[in-house]
Amino acid sequence: MSDLDPATAQPSRSPFREAWANFLTNRAAILGLAVLTLIVFGAIFGPVLYGTDPYEMVWAPFSPPGEAGFLLGTDYLGRDLLAMLLSGARVSLLVGLAAALVSIFIGVTIGALAGYYRGIVDEMLMRFTEFFQVLPTLLFSMVLVALFGASLAMITFAIGVVSWTAVARITRTEFMRLREMEFVLASRALGATNRRLMFGVILPNAIPPIIVQSALMVGSAILFEAGLSFLGLTDPNVVSWGQIIGSNRQYILDAGYTVTVPGLAIFITVLSISLVGDGLNDALNPKLRRR
Amino acid sequence: MFHQLKGLAVTAALVSSVAAGAVMAEEPKSGGTLIVPLGTNVRNLNSAVQSGIATGFPGAQLFASPLRYDEDWTPQPYLAESWEVSDDGLTVTLNLVKNAKFHDGTPITSKDVAFSVDVIKANHPFKSMFAPVESVETPDDHTAILKLSQPHPALMLAMSGQLMSIIPQHIYGDVPVDQVKTHPRNNEGTVGSGPFKLVEYKSGEHIILERFDDFFIDGRPYLDKIVMRVISDPAARAIAYENGELHMGAFESLPRIINRLKKVDGLTVTPEGYGAIGPLDWLAMNTQRGPLADVKVRKAIAYAVDKKFIQNALMQGTAADSRTGIHPDSPFYNGDVETYDLDLDKANALLDEAGYPMEDGKRFELTIDFGWPGVKPQVEYVKAALKKVGIDVQVRASADFPTWAKRMGEMDFDLSWDTVFNWGDPVIGVHRTYDSNNIGKGVWSNTQGYSNARVDELMGMAAIESDPEKRKALYAEFQQIIADELPVYHINTLPYHTVYSDKVGNPPLGIWGTSTPLDMTYLKD
Amino acid sequence: MVRLIYAAALLLAVILLNFTLMHLAPGDVADTISQSMGGADEELLIQIRADYGLDQPFIVQLGRYVGGVFQGNLGYSFFYNQSVVSLILERLPATLLLVISAQIVALFFGVLLGAISAQKPDGLLSHAVTFISLFGFSAPVFWTGILLLIGFSLNVQWFPVSGMRDVTIEGGFWAQAVDIARHLVLPMITLASIFLALYSRLARATMMETLKSDFVRTAYAKGLPTRTVVYSHAMRNAMAPVVTLAGLQFSAVFSGAVLVEAVFSWPGLGTLAFQSIIARDTPTILGILFFSSLVVIVGNLITDMILRAMDPRIRSNSA
Repeated sequence: MSDLDPATAQPSRSPFREAWANFLTNRAAILGLAVLTLIVFGAIFGPVLYGTDPYEMVWAPFSPPGEAGFLLGTDYLGRDLLAMLLSGARVSLLVGLAAALVSIFIGVTIGALAGYYRGIVDEMLMRFTEFFQVLPTLLFSMVLVALFGASLAMITFAIGVVSWTAVARITRTEFMRLREMEFVLASRALGATNRRLMFGVILPNAIPPIIVQSALMVGSAILFEAGLSFLGLTDPNVVSWGQIIGSNRQYILDAGYTVTVPGLAIFITVLSISLVGDGLNDALNPKLRRR
Repeated sequence: MFHQLKGLAVTAALVSSVAAGAVMAEEPKSGGTLIVPLGTNVRNLNSAVQSGIATGFPGAQLFASPLRYDEDWTPQPYLAESWEVSDDGLTVTLNLVKNAKFHDGTPITSKDVAFSVDVIKANHPFKSMFAPVESVETPDDHTAILKLSQPHPALMLAMSGQLMSIIPQHIYGDVPVDQVKTHPRNNEGTVGSGPFKLVEYKSGEHIILERFDDFFIDGRPYLDKIVMRVISDPAARAIAYENGELHMGAFESLPRIINRLKKVDGLTVTPEGYGAIGPLDWLAMNTQRGPLADVKVRKAIAYAVDKKFIQNALMQGTAADSRTGIHPDSPFYNGDVETYDLDLDKANALLDEAGYPMEDGKRFELTIDFGWPGVKPQVEYVKAALKKVGIDVQVRASADFPTWAKRMGEMDFDLSWDTVFNWGDPVIGVHRTYDSNNIGKGVWSNTQGYSNARVDELMGMAAIESDPEKRKALYAEFQQIIADELPVYHINTLPYHTVYSDKVGNPPLGIWGTSTPLDMTYLKD
Repeated sequence: MVRLIYAAALLLAVILLNFTLMHLAPGDVADTISQSMGGADEELLIQIRADYGLDQPFIVQLGRYVGGVFQGNLGYSFFYNQSVVSLILERLPATLLLVISAQIVALFFGVLLGAISAQKPDGLLSHAVTFISLFGFSAPVFWTGILLLIGFSLNVQWFPVSGMRDVTIEGGFWAQAVDIARHLVLPMITLASIFLALYSRLARATMMETLKSDFVRTAYAKGLPTRTVVYSHAMRNAMAPVVTLAGLQFSAVFSGAVLVEAVFSWPGLGTLAFQSIIARDTPTILGILFFSSLVVIVGNLITDMILRAMDPRIRSNSA
């Protein structure tokens, strides 16, 4: 396990290329990636290509899907659901990604410091992490958003700030393992600074499990955002998938599609992210095991 | 009208069946338990210190007021068997019923009336109700004389419904008057003066009331018991009405549910009974900010916002049109005012005139606020509607009510959706919105920063005008100015509906709805 | 003992954070109270604040609150006019009923599905398990709830739309119990769906490992029928890590419950939390936040104790 020499364990293209080759053998993961690419494409270019304003009341309320040229029908104000769905994709993906980045940033920083310095630093940072682990995640985010305003930035922060503990623990474990490796010791002997050791030497080698975790984080952040906006804790100026479900919920008797369709969008998006995450896990794991 | 009501023949009125919301097709029957829902938890049963529709229902059963009203807005004797208003309007004499007792058997005297007025003045949010009352004299146990600093016709409505609950001094007098609000016997061991006494109050669950056998009107109340159950989910209430498990309920306001219940056999669903409470939905405009300071912009907004869409599509036809600050059911309502049917050309022209030309499909930006999730569709609609005339509206989220209330109170808004109640006389619930001395004094004050000397003058005159016809004329002009200058664009009445089954006789459909005693309501076999 | 002191310190930190946050925000419950009264002027608002001690300096309010908490007093809800402890205790049974029944369903079916599919990793059932677990991971739980609602409460009216009980049902214990059970079915399945995914996945993995292990081979060698080996020996073995995992889900369970309760108007703590957040009923919000942290801490302590009692393999796995 620890008989690696510094040269081969240094970050290089080849392990990732190998992982990519592994990834390509996983049909479910490829499918997930394809669907995800489509969704991202739709989010970026969809609103422009489709052209209809998601806020404009274009037709009679509750026009069923397919009628009068509206593929997904209209909502309770007569707004085009397809336009809302495309516009909502941006928010859901953006918030999901940004919240995941926030939590990865916090998690990696804290995990790296704890795992690298160990001792009292580790002790204190792990207590800090435990503190966040005992907060009721959704409730705490709800309170943050309710108190300090439902802007996208606040929502992103509220999700990120309660979701980083798993990343911190994984990073810490990796750092603890890697810091005793010979290539690290070698770099240290060559006079590398702590910062260089942490982020230049150890981190690149700790990346695979963090990547897998990050992929899963994006999915759960999207679900998290959807939950908040379903409860009405969202910026009312932007359409988001959860919000469409939340505000149409009282009309499920009249028009169930206004709820089922955006829910399906969330489901498919998170599903493809999970598939990609699983694929990454499988692809990166053999390498981990060999190390 | 009020002026001429001196020395009404008393005994006849008591025995006769004229009173709140009664159409008597058959002989009322005694006995039975009426089961009704409460949509929200009742925080405080003592309606002398707690206002609001939630407290009004149990409050009016537990506590009697001097007067009650019939469905024609005519005052009727209740705890006061007669009353006189002096010619100068400065003295109001109440002659109390002689045999009235509190639930603990103690006689109700004029001292209790004086005490109640003190308590209400110290605790109740509607200061204008009794502000002109300088003192209450009690020459004998059954005569209370209210001395006023100025004529105050609004006092008549303020002495009815839930607004002037007579509470026992010997129970609540043991603390300073301004602390009655937190008196331990508000919700437990409550001693009232009304037709029903408290059996059990369980916060968030139920209130059980029982017939008070020594009630001062013989043979009343008809019901043995009233069980009020807190059921906050409107859908659950709807099912319970359908199953016949609830006899009656008020303040149902979800259009979809109202329309569904209307189709159920054996149920009557009616918007009657909300005239005095007078709930109005409107679009508030801050007249002191940016483009909204210009009346042309406000008019343009009114032309661009289609009231009919809100009334028909969002309210699904359950809400009535509202044009002025006064509820359409009020005798003071004047519907003959400037109206603004959807007209985008006019709106665009007005905005051009006001000096806001369209550039790249956009003229200027505004924000809109809302205080509770139920009105989000309306707010979204306004955003979409104004976009068509080049006004880019940003909806400001306020996830909780205090955030919104604070913004309103400090006039930190452009547009806002708002729901405000009339509470009987215009002096109580209408003036506060337009009075230039009441600008920016908390939520539901004149948060629009509206100021018009003529409006102030009209309200001032109407407040002290004893002749009902003259008063009506003053309010007619007032409403025309309001509708013309648009500090708020009135959209619709709140679609409050009362639901009752065929089993219920004499449901409370008077002007105060369920904020009146149910002493005449009965259950058929 | 050290762990207990540490847990208390953690709780104190939770209180400090929550309390500070609540006081940084604009507006307070006096506004909400004025709403229920149909309006109030500034003078009355000041009076309300004084009545409830909201006008005191921050540090005084904090001191009072912390002092109260250590005496088991979480304050008084202005909005519900009730002590927060009694409010929480009143709503707790509904949430417990929902959460525990959902966990039992998720554990039972999770382990069962995992065990069955582990025997034929490429069988149809195995793919079904994969799909179920992916669905549980990827579908927003409130959407699952609404789908079930549309399917089984509106289209075919098998189950009630919302609430926990039909208030108008009079009758003995059994009538009430049946009524509550009918209300429970859909929310329970909805909440269970998240955890079913987690447990079936883990159960299948451990089951596959167990089936290859020596003692299973020995059992087969002894001539025991497959059914006995799989469902009696192997499955019992595979249960352990799944149960352990379940013990670590306290925070997630509560988050899920908030959303499920919102969909079905289930009168539990989640609904209470949501309502009090909207009303800015500070004492209730603080009380629920404190209570849920307490549950997580106590839950972790207990799980930890179980972990220590179990074999070292599991201990190292969960690190």
